[in-house]
Amino acid sequence: MNTKSLRWIAATAFLLPAIFAHAAPMGFEGSWMAMGDVSENWREAWANYALTPRDAVGAGYVFMRSDDKTKERKLAEINYTRLLHRWNLPDAQANVWLFGSVGRMSGNDFSGSKAAYAPGVQFDYETTRVYLAATSRLYRAEGIKHDFNSVRAGFSFYKAEYDETQPWFVVEARRMQGLSDKLEITPMLRLINKNYFVEAGVNNSRQLRFNLMYIF
Amino acid sequence: MKRVYSVLIIIAALVSGSVSAATIKASVNGMVCAFCAQGIEKKLRANSATQDVYVSLENKVVAIALKPGQAMTDDTVKQVITDAGYAVTEIKHSEETLEAIRQAMKKK
Repeated sequence: MNTKSLRWIAATAFLLPAIFAHAAPMGFEGSWMAMGDVSENWREAWANYALTPRDAVGAGYVFMRSDDKTKERKLAEINYTRLLHRWNLPDAQANVWLFGSVGRMSGNDFSGSKAAYAPGVQFDYETTRVYLAATSRLYRAEGIKHDFNSVRAGFSFYKAEYDETQPWFVVEARRMQGLSDKLEITPMLRLINKNYFVEAGVNNSRQLRFNLMYIF
Repeated sequence: MKRVYSVLIIIAALVSGSVSAATIKASVNGMVCAFCAQGIEKKLRANSATQDVYVSLENKVVAIALKPGQAMTDDTVKQVITDAGYAVTEIKHSEETLEAIRQAMKKK
């Protein structure tokens, strides 16, 4: 990997605000994956490197804001992703993923920053026509308990071959305890290609949302 | 004498587990997403014996065209696909070209 590629990865990780609970959260062994999830109150970006077919390490940044925009959290983290188990079925794949991260969290209602950690788990099931996922992450620091839960379900409009772009309709419901009492529901159009994964939608607060994943 | 050489070549191929067929066709479970399966193609293309790779999600097949005179063992094919996160259920060797396999898959 050359210097130009590394610069691109760093730029993607930190300039593209964004999430995580989508598809496989790591690439194949020896690959870099960059991800971003951007919406008005949630921006997350991170990149990881797959050390083995089941383990990846990386770094990320999360910005979270309450619905009334009065409370903010910023988390810079290093993270570890583990594919705990995969079921490769004739017409489907299912996975259990574990996440762990440590970092520093800052906010606009306290001074300085606090040591933070965020363990999580994800289960997903996918065929060429159906996608289901459930994710839970616990964002914790001293005096802070922001538990994040999301579920996703979607279907593809038609089957597509490996070299074709496949459009999907996906709906996500997510909630962040301590920051938002509102259940955020976002219907999205997803495009999957062998080179990229993008999603765009509008949530129930009429805010735009955009997700991107790319493997190097 | 020619017959002896032929027998020796066949035995050597069997013992090493490699076959210099033009194309290797692997049936693979779990391939449902092009974005996630790209690792299979990239890893196989990185092998020096590989000339071209064809992946069909619909037919659950990964086909590998080998460079002339090159061979790839079943174990190598299985290892690459397993490391990419998928399960190989069957491996076949064929003299068909990759293009012929591609066309046959599209007609299915």
